[in-house]
Amino acid sequence: MRRRDFITKSAALAGAGFLAPTLLKTGTAFARGGNAKAEHVVLLMFAGGVRQQESVLQRYLEDSQGVAGAAGNIMPNLFNGAAPDRKIVYGTSLPGLPPGSEPIPRLLSNTIENSGMLFREVQAQSAGHYVGLNTLLTGNAGTAQGLKTRPRYPTIFEYLRRHAGFKASECWMVANGIGNSMPLLNSSDNADYGLQYGANMFAPPITFGSYGREILANGKSYSQQDLEPMYDIKRFLDQSFSLGQEQYNTVRNTEEERTWIKEFIRNVFVKQSAGQIAMPPVGSGDGYNIAYAAEIMREFKPRMLAVNIGGVDSCHSNFTSYLSALHRADHAAGWLWQYIQNNIPDIKDNTIFIIAPECGRNLNPNPILDQNDWYAFDHSDANARRVWSLMVGSNVPQLSVGSESNPVGRLTDIVPTIADIFGIYDEVMASGYIDPLAKSMFQRV
Amino acid sequence: MRNFKLLAITLLLFLGSCKRETHVTFGVEEANLYEDKALKTKSKNEAVYISVLYTNLYQTPISPSQLYKTQAVIYSIGDRNVANEMVLSNYFNTQGLTIPSNAEMRSDIESFVIETYKRFFLRYPSEGEKTWMIQYITRNSQLSVEMIYTGFAASDEYQYY
Repeated sequence: MRRRDFITKSAALAGAGFLAPTLLKTGTAFARGGNAKAEHVVLLMFAGGVRQQESVLQRYLEDSQGVAGAAGNIMPNLFNGAAPDRKIVYGTSLPGLPPGSEPIPRLLSNTIENSGMLFREVQAQSAGHYVGLNTLLTGNAGTAQGLKTRPRYPTIFEYLRRHAGFKASECWMVANGIGNSMPLLNSSDNADYGLQYGANMFAPPITFGSYGREILANGKSYSQQDLEPMYDIKRFLDQSFSLGQEQYNTVRNTEEERTWIKEFIRNVFVKQSAGQIAMPPVGSGDGYNIAYAAEIMREFKPRMLAVNIGGVDSCHSNFTSYLSALHRADHAAGWLWQYIQNNIPDIKDNTIFIIAPECGRNLNPNPILDQNDWYAFDHSDANARRVWSLMVGSNVPQLSVGSESNPVGRLTDIVPTIADIFGIYDEVMASGYIDPLAKSMFQRV
Repeated sequence: MRNFKLLAITLLLFLGSCKRETHVTFGVEEANLYEDKALKTKSKNEAVYISVLYTNLYQTPISPSQLYKTQAVIYSIGDRNVANEMVLSNYFNTQGLTIPSNAEMRSDIESFVIETYKRFFLRYPSEGEKTWMIQYITRNSQLSVEMIYTGFAASDEYQYY
């Protein structure tokens, strides 16, 4: 290349590099517009580490514990397939029968697999929980993600709030606790996005559990007339103490949104006392979390709601407990979709429900035996990077994609898929923060 | 004679060891120190916020178990302002608060404003802040100490140090 050409091209590239962040910041430079496929998305982060063999592959004890003839489907709401007919331990316990021997009846008349799109063999980008959850929410492999820190890359909430103009009260994260960095997932600390575009968040076991009842339930309910002067004073004081974006320590709602959320919290405690919180028929920790996600759906009708569960992580030390948790997580997932269909008519026909684990589990067990002398499984090998994903709802075709020998898709596809659903695909993909190999699941097929 | 000499020597030793006391002064004048809002750049974490708020309102330290629970609840809510306002409204629904009565506030609004700024922000109000606050309280006869304290405790400045 001649020297003059080299200088000209270098200058052009440098100029483009200089301008790109500015253009991206506006959020419009790369926008091509797009048709929304749905108005609401519910992402169920089916987390805790779900082994491919007991879930979508339906091998039950045959594969994991070497019990011949004990294969079958223990997730009847999500997948098609007959239940195992030997050594049933994952159901409910009835008097006079062996523990767990009564499978929970299927809630949905049609499985999610039958109603939507199943990606049978998807590549997870991590074998760990927190990075896996980050992957689901950021669309980035997150290899440098640390614990006890906010996601390094923008979350889907931030993309939606910035590029699609969603309000804070339209974006919700429901965490299953406050440990393990979980409450930090509602926003990244990315300089281009960050808390100013973050989502609202509750961790129901704390917010609406015994601590929440003690600390919050006795609060006064102020009338709008009482609230106005309080907000006036706060507004006046805040005007003389303006914060830079880098100083934000929280997601921010408008005064109206804050009042709405506080009223919602108070009402939840009232409903709790009256026993009026709708719950999956068979209870579990995951079911509890999903029940409160349903309350949020009913009240706020969020455009984007992500809910995290994690009961199956008991598999580290108790395989029987893992099977039971997997069966109950399926039950709770089916219940949530059924609840939306039956109880929230405004959104039932324009919602897409996405379900995906954050990581899988190992091929080989660890040495820990449970009460049935079955081995437990951790998550650290290549098998732990094998997962599946499901999608059902508005504009989702009925398809089964890929197979054990033909993996299709990556977990980083979830964020581009949601962006595609809301018509901001190009902006999100051009942000520079998405896994370069990721693409919308609609485009994968 | 011998005793007399000993006594004289002892007295001489004592007299020789006595010195006039000198008063050293460094020209330091007494002053009250208050925070400057421009220097409040660090966000209080949940534990600090709750400890300071509880001590402020009840004039007694919060118990460790109460602190732990409150901290967890605040941490479990995405919008910290929502959480703080809920915790505050809970406190104002309890007994044992050490706050001025509404009558005390109305009897000397200027003093109340100055004391409130000192109590929450550890500083004096500027003249502009004082004037606005006095006028606002004077104009709004329904305004209570609880409402004003809620506004201060929920403000951005109170969450930074």
